[in-house]
Amino acid sequence: MNVKNNPADSFETDFWKDAAARKTWDDLVPGAPRETVPYLLTKEAIQKYCRSVGDLHPLYFDEAYARKSVFGGLIAPPSIHILLMFACTPTDDWMRSPGTINAGQSWSYAIPARPGDMIRLEARCLDKFIRKDRLFAVHDNVFFNQKNEVICSGRGWTIRPQ
Amino acid sequence: MSTFEDLAEGQTITGKPFSPTRETIREFCEASLDFNPLHLDDDYMQGSFGKTNFGGIIMHGMTNFGLLTRMITDWAYDHGGFHRRLETRWKAPVKPGDVITPRGRLVRLRPTLKSRWVTLEVEIVNQRDEIVAVGEAMVEFPRHEVAA
Repeated sequence: MNVKNNPADSFETDFWKDAAARKTWDDLVPGAPRETVPYLLTKEAIQKYCRSVGDLHPLYFDEAYARKSVFGGLIAPPSIHILLMFACTPTDDWMRSPGTINAGQSWSYAIPARPGDMIRLEARCLDKFIRKDRLFAVHDNVFFNQKNEVICSGRGWTIRPQ
Repeated sequence: MSTFEDLAEGQTITGKPFSPTRETIREFCEASLDFNPLHLDDDYMQGSFGKTNFGGIIMHGMTNFGLLTRMITDWAYDHGGFHRRLETRWKAPVKPGDVITPRGRLVRLRPTLKSRWVTLEVEIVNQRDEIVAVGEAMVEFPRHEVAA
């Protein structure tokens, strides 16, 4: 199983690399699954994400505080799927195509992700259409933890560069 | 800690202002692993693709999502609620130097058979009071304290 646990070392940050291997709008088949990779979510990755949006809530940083809370321990904020979306997809995934524009997203949250969770993603292109001369693709995603419990599910509307 | 009984439709909440810079946008790239050149490369943005050209790098739309989430969770945690849903649409790009502020309004309190739900309309406005993101959120207030 291909497991990533330190994306700072292994994540390809040049989104131009492998650009030619990515599916274009024409290639997308609504309903077809996207390739995904499991990802070990660490406390460090959670806290790095939290800092980037200025969210220093003690549920994400203070183990003693979190242990006494209803959550019983440190958790990730619901929006951690922002990180997980790229962490759980390979470098040739079409969501990385340079120029991809995020037009909006909707997400539902079941249980929080936690440090140490092994995250699994099931994802697909759900729909594609042309509107106002722009190429839209809808992506559909569900994140699970190592117990196969649903963490969150969501859908996004993107405008494709080509 | 307040409870569902203390809430009323029309109540408002406000998040903390956020001012993106080239550095915070870069930090978000590192933290989210989203290295789309829209957020990194002014030269790339001087060109155009499709019908869209922002004329310079822009903040990730998902930073709006993270800021709205922060506003909602700060409020929900304090009131014994659980953030269950957020839907957003981006209305305008956010650029380095802008100051953006999330806002929300309780529009519907709805008990269900097994729980209680609050629907909020949410938005983010910039320093010119232009709306850059809009959306809708749901927060659940269980009838009994439950493990989340």
